[in-house]
Amino acid sequence: MSAEQPKAPFAGLRVADFAWVGVGPTVSKYLADHGAEVIRIESSTYPESLRRVGPFVDNIPGVDRSGYYANFNSSKLGASINLKHPRGPELAKRIALACDVVTESFTPGTMARFGLDYASLSAERPDLVMISMPLYGQTGPWSHYSGFGHVLQGAAGFNHLTGWPDEPPIGTGTAYTDFLVPHIGAVGLIAALDYRRRTGVGQYIDFGQFEAAIHGLWTAMLDWTANGHEQTRMGNRDPEAAPHGCYRCRDGRYIVLACFTEKQWEGFRAALGRPDWCDLERMRRKWQRLNEQKEIDRHIQAWLDGYTYDPARPDVFADEGGESQGRRFTTDEVMMHFQDYGVPCGIVRSPEAMRSDPQMLHRQHYWMLEHPVMGLRSYDGPAFRLSATPTKLRKAAPCLGEDNEYVFKEIVGLGDEEFIELLADGAFE
Amino acid sequence: MAMPDGVPPVPFAHPGGPLAGYRVLDLADEKGQLCTRLLGELGADVIKVEPREGDPTRGCGPFFRGEEGAETSLFWWVMNAGKRSVTCELRLEQGRELLHRLAARSDILVETCVPGTQAALGLDYPTLRAVNPSLIVVSISGFGQTGPYAKLHTSDIVAAALGGHMHLNGDEEHGPVRTTVPQAFTQANFQAAVGAMVALYARGVNDGVGQHVDVSMQEAMSLAMDNAQTTWDIRGINLGGPGMRRNNTQFTTPRYLYETADGWVACVQAGGLFGVLANTIIDWLAETGEAGPLDSPEWRARLVNPQPLNDDERPIVEDVLAAFCKKRLKDDLVAEAQRRGAGWAPVLSPREIADSRQLAARDYWVRVQHEAIGESFVYPGAPWKFSATPWMQRGRAPHVGEHNDQVYAELLDIGAADLRRLRMRMAV
Repeated sequence: MSAEQPKAPFAGLRVADFAWVGVGPTVSKYLADHGAEVIRIESSTYPESLRRVGPFVDNIPGVDRSGYYANFNSSKLGASINLKHPRGPELAKRIALACDVVTESFTPGTMARFGLDYASLSAERPDLVMISMPLYGQTGPWSHYSGFGHVLQGAAGFNHLTGWPDEPPIGTGTAYTDFLVPHIGAVGLIAALDYRRRTGVGQYIDFGQFEAAIHGLWTAMLDWTANGHEQTRMGNRDPEAAPHGCYRCRDGRYIVLACFTEKQWEGFRAALGRPDWCDLERMRRKWQRLNEQKEIDRHIQAWLDGYTYDPARPDVFADEGGESQGRRFTTDEVMMHFQDYGVPCGIVRSPEAMRSDPQMLHRQHYWMLEHPVMGLRSYDGPAFRLSATPTKLRKAAPCLGEDNEYVFKEIVGLGDEEFIELLADGAFE
Repeated sequence: MAMPDGVPPVPFAHPGGPLAGYRVLDLADEKGQLCTRLLGELGADVIKVEPREGDPTRGCGPFFRGEEGAETSLFWWVMNAGKRSVTCELRLEQGRELLHRLAARSDILVETCVPGTQAALGLDYPTLRAVNPSLIVVSISGFGQTGPYAKLHTSDIVAAALGGHMHLNGDEEHGPVRTTVPQAFTQANFQAAVGAMVALYARGVNDGVGQHVDVSMQEAMSLAMDNAQTTWDIRGINLGGPGMRRNNTQFTTPRYLYETADGWVACVQAGGLFGVLANTIIDWLAETGEAGPLDSPEWRARLVNPQPLNDDERPIVEDVLAAFCKKRLKDDLVAEAQRRGAGWAPVLSPREIADSRQLAARDYWVRVQHEAIGESFVYPGAPWKFSATPWMQRGRAPHVGEHNDQVYAELLDIGAADLRRLRMRMAV
């Protein structure tokens, strides 16, 4: 083993990133944040959707002002090409051929229209690894369907499995599959890169977001295919734990708690001060408690009403419930109180609260990066820490076309004059 | 395919996968079994290491036909399909020694112990590194290996709450809700898989240097907060659960979910009635005379205007679309919307996903033989279609210690007599 510092995993790899919105850029972000030179290839005539969606700095829309875009594009270079310009497709192809990896997420057929499909590129660069990642894959009756993660979560079952029983399938409140499938995409892409590293063989990956997302449904598919049982949304309940829920504290925040095991149930009882209702015959076994969840939830809510308070309004205290014997808990204290008794318990953190969560701070999850237009802004890093080759978000997201001069002169090999001519002619718009 | 007597039928050999030749030891619970299964289907030899009485997650429901037992957990079936299983008693020194000999012959080890409790089982990184400096050790826990929450008790809902996702999930009236199929576990598995792959690639370009990959379930869940984290950072707006609407930093969007005659459809911003597609959608509704007040120059001009809809306008737009959808089937609605350029999707249940024409056309599903039951069942298929190194489902999940003889003989050269001795000492 060499004594010097190990090099960044993907140092020396170059990536042409034609992908857009959430999924594709997140896949290439993993490569960029671990050393690859990733070139976002965009166009000002048809800017990437996320550059047009907020949050915008100072609430002023602008292609270089969106935090939504920025977060998925740390450590990348920005190039812009107008593919409608007579020389646009050729320039794009020259970038792609200078790269080890091509990523894209257009509707099937789009890349081929510009001569940028795998067959055309690999004819000239056989060791190229290319991944296409539209919603539904390259083939099939839905392959031309458009959409976003916000609706794909519906097709992939997440709406059906989120919400309260007998109420609408509200979904996760996010474009959920955009934050699920890129991780799977990245695993396949890096596996193909590792294969190439060892054998020199390139390949094409037809990645359908829909197909990947189904692997996030846990046991729901097999429960249907093997048991004929259709899982559905259960609010905050769980088929294997009681209690298992989300409850409001006096300061308006919510806590969750879960008892899967007898040990956790015992801890829960002790944490509540061993109230009589816990000793009822119908609370003795878990299968019984699973049937008594409504009553258990009522007791928990009454306990929290009685024992928690809002430090901002200490004079307001519950009369109802009347269970308190003096001790009062803030929401933070009540979480630790249950934890001390061995009960899995946590506070529902808001986006604001995430930023001061002691554990997230300890993990230094959020990276602060300086952007020329947006200023110092926070970016997500991955959820893993690598001891030998740490993740490094090297720079903020690129402005549109920020690195054109480097990309087209150094990588594509255009001369100064040709670059200026093409620039004047709108080839980089 | 006929198997010679005595040879376990699974896992199927997968020499053509991109990870063929690598070996993974799986000492994980719910936080890591899906991660290693993904690696196995890419070609790695995944060995599930269980205690003698079987892995505790064999007790996770639901169960086949509702009958609890070590071989009937559907959780076990899904998460451990295509792995080999050995038993190894890590509470005994001889068991730990066996594990370390396996670790010396492996590339990746995935463990999910409560931080600080690994050493007692010989699973701490310093010990494993001493055994095999090239080993990649992936530790998945609720909150990471160190820090103020490292030792807290966790579960899926706890990580979904402390990971911020639940705050965006739900609505004002009911409060936060968890997605019923555990997503904090899912996210932790996927982050672990990405981390393992980055570390594996790093090893290849760094003379075989192994490393420790420390994964936090809370942090994994926080990555699914959409643009809420940047919205707080940039605008100081603290987003919550939008219910049937979408979060937008500046305004309340129209509903994106509408009931149909046979279920629900998902369509961004009232199906496109608000925004650049507004006229296209109004034309569609107008063709059957169902556009109501919207088929007027004033409304048309209003709806293509990016100015947010106010509280009086929004219900008018939503009601028109709701009445239109309620009379129609979701597949018909989606096909027609797509034909007109609007990115709608049906809201599907597991049964409807299983019946999907798209997935059938893609030859997605795989049939997995469970010979002990005498039946085969349909499992989800390839997340990736590789042109050179195909993905492959490798058969059913293993029985407890099913591959003891095979693995210990093949990897550690332990013969039948030695294995008997280990069995008597309860190490295997």
